[in-house]
Amino acid sequence: MRRPSARRTTALVAAGLLLPALAACGSDGGKDGSAEGGDSSLVIYSGRNEKLVKPILDKLEKAVGSKVEVRYGDSAELAAQILEEGDRTKAGLFFSQDAGALGALSKEGVLAKLPQSSLEEVDAAYRGGKGDWVGLSGRVRVIAYNPDKVAEDDVPDSVQDVVKPEWKDKVGFAPTNASFQAFVTGMRVIEGDDATREWLKGLKANGKTYANNLATLDAVESGEVSLGLVNHYYWYERVAEKGEDKVGAKLHFLPGEDPGALINVAGVGILKDSGQSETAQKAVDYLLSKEAQIYFADRTKEYPLAAGVTSKVEGLPPFESLESPDIDLGKLESLQETLAMLQEVGLV
Amino acid sequence: MNPTAVDTTESAARPAGAPAPAGRRRVPTTRGAPPGSGRRPPLVLLVPACVAALFALLPLGYLAVRALERGPGYAWDVVADERTLQLLSRSLGLTAVVVAACLVLGVSLAWLTVRTALPGARAWSVLATLPLAVPSYVAAFTWLAAAPENAGFAGAALALTLVSFPYVHLPVAAALRGIDPAQEEAARSLGHGPWRTFLRVTLPQLRPAAAGGALLVALYVLSDFGAVSLMRYDTFTRAIHTSYRASFDRTPAAALSVVLVVMTVALVAAEARTRGRAGHARTGAGTARPAAPIPLGRWRIAALAWCATVVAVAVAFPLGTLGYWLAVGSSAIWDLGDLARTAWTTLGVAAAGAALTTLLALPVGVIAARHRGRGVRLLEQAAYAGHALPGITVALSLVFFAVRYAYPLYQQLPLLVCAYAVLFLPVAVAATRAAVLQAPPVLEDVARSLGRSPISVLREVTVPLAAPGVAAGAALTFVVCMKELPATLLLRPTGMDTLATRLWTETGAGSFAAAAPYAAALILLAAIPSYLLGRHRT
Amino acid sequence: MNDLDLRNDLRIERLAKSYGPEATVLEGLDLTVPGGALAALLGPSGCGKTTLLRIVAGFLDADAGTVAVGGRTLVGPGVHLPPERRRIGIVPQEGALFPHLSVARNVAFGLTGLDRGERYYRTEEMLDLVGLAGYGDRMPHELSGGQQQRIALARALAPRPALVLLDEPFNALDSALRAGVRADVRAALRATGATALLVTHDQQEALSTADLVAVVRQGRIAQCDTPQNLYRRPADPWVAGFVGDAVLLPGAVANGGSTATTSLGNVALTNPPDGRSTGTVVLRPEQLRLVDPATAEAVRGKVTDVCFYGHDAKVSVAVRGLGDPVDVRVSGAVSIDPGEETGIRVTGEATFHP
Repeated sequence: MRRPSARRTTALVAAGLLLPALAACGSDGGKDGSAEGGDSSLVIYSGRNEKLVKPILDKLEKAVGSKVEVRYGDSAELAAQILEEGDRTKAGLFFSQDAGALGALSKEGVLAKLPQSSLEEVDAAYRGGKGDWVGLSGRVRVIAYNPDKVAEDDVPDSVQDVVKPEWKDKVGFAPTNASFQAFVTGMRVIEGDDATREWLKGLKANGKTYANNLATLDAVESGEVSLGLVNHYYWYERVAEKGEDKVGAKLHFLPGEDPGALINVAGVGILKDSGQSETAQKAVDYLLSKEAQIYFADRTKEYPLAAGVTSKVEGLPPFESLESPDIDLGKLESLQETLAMLQEVGLV
Repeated sequence: MNPTAVDTTESAARPAGAPAPAGRRRVPTTRGAPPGSGRRPPLVLLVPACVAALFALLPLGYLAVRALERGPGYAWDVVADERTLQLLSRSLGLTAVVVAACLVLGVSLAWLTVRTALPGARAWSVLATLPLAVPSYVAAFTWLAAAPENAGFAGAALALTLVSFPYVHLPVAAALRGIDPAQEEAARSLGHGPWRTFLRVTLPQLRPAAAGGALLVALYVLSDFGAVSLMRYDTFTRAIHTSYRASFDRTPAAALSVVLVVMTVALVAAEARTRGRAGHARTGAGTARPAAPIPLGRWRIAALAWCATVVAVAVAFPLGTLGYWLAVGSSAIWDLGDLARTAWTTLGVAAAGAALTTLLALPVGVIAARHRGRGVRLLEQAAYAGHALPGITVALSLVFFAVRYAYPLYQQLPLLVCAYAVLFLPVAVAATRAAVLQAPPVLEDVARSLGRSPISVLREVTVPLAAPGVAAGAALTFVVCMKELPATLLLRPTGMDTLATRLWTETGAGSFAAAAPYAAALILLAAIPSYLLGRHRT
Repeated sequence: MNDLDLRNDLRIERLAKSYGPEATVLEGLDLTVPGGALAALLGPSGCGKTTLLRIVAGFLDADAGTVAVGGRTLVGPGVHLPPERRRIGIVPQEGALFPHLSVARNVAFGLTGLDRGERYYRTEEMLDLVGLAGYGDRMPHELSGGQQQRIALARALAPRPALVLLDEPFNALDSALRAGVRADVRAALRATGATALLVTHDQQEALSTADLVAVVRQGRIAQCDTPQNLYRRPADPWVAGFVGDAVLLPGAVANGGSTATTSLGNVALTNPPDGRSTGTVVLRPEQLRLVDPATAEAVRGKVTDVCFYGHDAKVSVAVRGLGDPVDVRVSGAVSIDPGEETGIRVTGEATFHP
């Protein structure tokens, strides 16, 4: 009834399961429990990609003089995790990809007030209204265009223009991308819900949707679309990798405080119930230090936000020259209505 | 994987008895029913099975807490939205198309490789199992890169079909091997052509196996986030994710998840109906005589082309694309040490996950195979209830419970392993149930009469007999654990990486080429148990 | 080897079981099997014999009634001993050997609580008993059907059960093998002295194998008796027809009850009836003789059919006054053809059923 091969397979599977499982249990001990030691060590929940921030967080460990463990994940999922953990959270510091997730934690009251010295490093526009989070680096929304398809002078100076009939089927954007949604939220704050809804309807009629900013930029480069609504740093990274002449797209920075020129930030907040606030505070100070700020400028091509630090990236317009809309980033956490609107229009 | 036992009805199993005098009342005998049917399962099985079921129901408890934290009115408002209906139809539409496509692929490949004189049938059979090793997000990724215009429904359906049709292929192939060829011969002798014989005799007997596989495919599609998000096709799961992401609000996400659970229960009940009374073990000594392969004649080339096409698009294409990225990518940096460490960790956690899942599934599967009744049905359905939930929801529910009631385990390996068990219990339950059904119940009666307690009957008779099938289930669970991403991200010990999380990190940083080695390693490692599954003969 | 234990009698009293209001299987069944006897449970499909077997073995709960072996109550009010504590061996259809264990380990499966040596000795002893010494290392699928069945018996007998249940154990065997295995099983049971209950629907098997045959009808024992008595003195015409070919004749009692008048003439009765004077007279076909139609006392009839079986033949004869032809068993050569006239004479005694 049973053939030897079945027996052998069973044995193989059993051995295959047992060996690595035992090994996993055996090697598991090294990392355990070390985060429990109160202030001496620090756990960071990072919504920023490991590839981008690991080098600077390694340096941070040396700078604060304590053991630092980093848990990488998606910013929103980590925020949800922190909220589920409640007052027993393991996180001492939350390093978020965008202001929205920080705003959500701030609203739930799980973040600690930062000392004035830290807050003052950064322009009031780029920190939490309750003083419980601070921006570290900024990115600006821009229009990428394909110079073979459209002359620089013809690129719209306002996102309002991309819904005009002349751009039918020529605009690329990523509706599920957090930065895009933050920008729509910004537009709602500035221009009201009705105007934003109309604009989104126009965009839906005119535009092509992509998975993310990179895919949008790809589409601009390939000429699939003429314009793309993206963040600035993707282009600079690509230029750094391939050289500017090999990148088939250029950037247009929008003037006149257009909602399309919204600046969003990555930032940090300290979890008040973690018992790690002392070390976490040191970490915040380090992240606002010149060394860390320059790292963000060079590595991620973002704008450093701490006072007195300027990006040296070639071709990047100075931060002060950006004509961004004046908006409370803390309000960007209220994405729910934006999402409802995007759903209503049928974009997500 | 699933009910593969051949139904030998009572009348077939026993010669016609002495004719009963006319007008005599006929009463059912118990011969055809499993032993103990109508009797409560022994406590040694019932208690661990209930533990497993409660375990699987943890996410539901969490969802109840979260969905109702602002009152049932709020939750109802979330659910009773026009958009919910829209999402429901989109999710069900995708599920229906993928299930139908998987049935076509799975049944056709199983029939060709098991019953026909297809050249290299065994190799094709193994190759048809390998797509299991491809994570849905990798499949979606490679297809998106090759044909971005397919994004949306078509792309999502394609990617999901290509990674999940082995769920149908495996049990159907096993069932085909178990069908007594004498039945098909009888049909042929009664004037049915091969095609009509297949439709009227063979196919109906494959129904339980195909339905079991289809159920797993359906739940997989409902729970999938990777492929649908990459392909930008809006489904329930994607809406749940968006709800976390956009509103940072767990209540609407939980309310939507409850709808998903309701859908799951409906699907599981529908599958249970297709089982009917079929699924009794064959009690005869030895296996059925192997069937003579059906000559393909002039269809041989077409059959070969069909198999080759499926294998090419499902296995060769993603691997080829990864190979291409590896070869040309400028940012491809080979850190072999890191790759090996990550691979070893992945094997370890997946093995632990598969071991725990199989252990928990064992009592549930045995009871589901050997006992009947409402309670037994509920027990089995409980195991499935959370299977269509997105990984993030299951992960958050375990965060919720672990932080409150098992804090020392939180962000430790055992909790991650538990998450795998919650996520994949049905995969192992289905395999165990089918394997136990293959073992004749009369052997357990004999063992009991020889003085063995229920637990030692389980240990000495049921488990050894069902071992190959249970091992196949363990191998399958192992593969799905290796590929798991969302729960691993949230629950892994801080600093631990699996191939799937590395893949996520690298693609998040936007470098496909750097991600390619991890994707390739993941597929190749998962291919080993998949290969064993393909070779496994029930 | 001398396990003869006459105290291991099986007593079943008022056993009842139903699967629902319309599906009563056992309706207060009573059965007693003396210790050491081999009893056959004979009945048509669906009569409840398998249900009875499963209740005795402990795989099924009874609704009411008691089962006791050797005075030890297994099933009764508030008592339901689990199968593993009943000391009852079972031999299922087709043997049901554990396919993953060798023959020796199959036989030794029930030998818990013995040390290694004792277990080995007992296993060898049992293999020897069923005539398969030296087969211990084989796997079940390497044995023929008859060998598997004998191993199944050895396995059931090894732990010295108080009672052995055999569930149609010879069904799967072809008829040539069946008689031999049947005889072997009977010999082995005799040798161990175990009480045994053999479930079958084959009356030949029941009559030839068992010491005692219990005929089950509609969830009750219609008659329980020795094979000889059952055949010669059936309790009613149904039992008569079920345990063998029967010639049923309407008859009227005569001569103060010692004979009955039938269409085949006057027939001597074994059981002088009291009360009613008309009823059914039951004869066996071999009690009828074909004689020259001219013979005195012979009843005349016309041959309608001849069935030849080899060792004997059955001749159907239409007799005036009877609706159906009567069957006459004739041994040896048959020298008569359908359509011919013949005479019939009755020998021996018949039973009378009012």
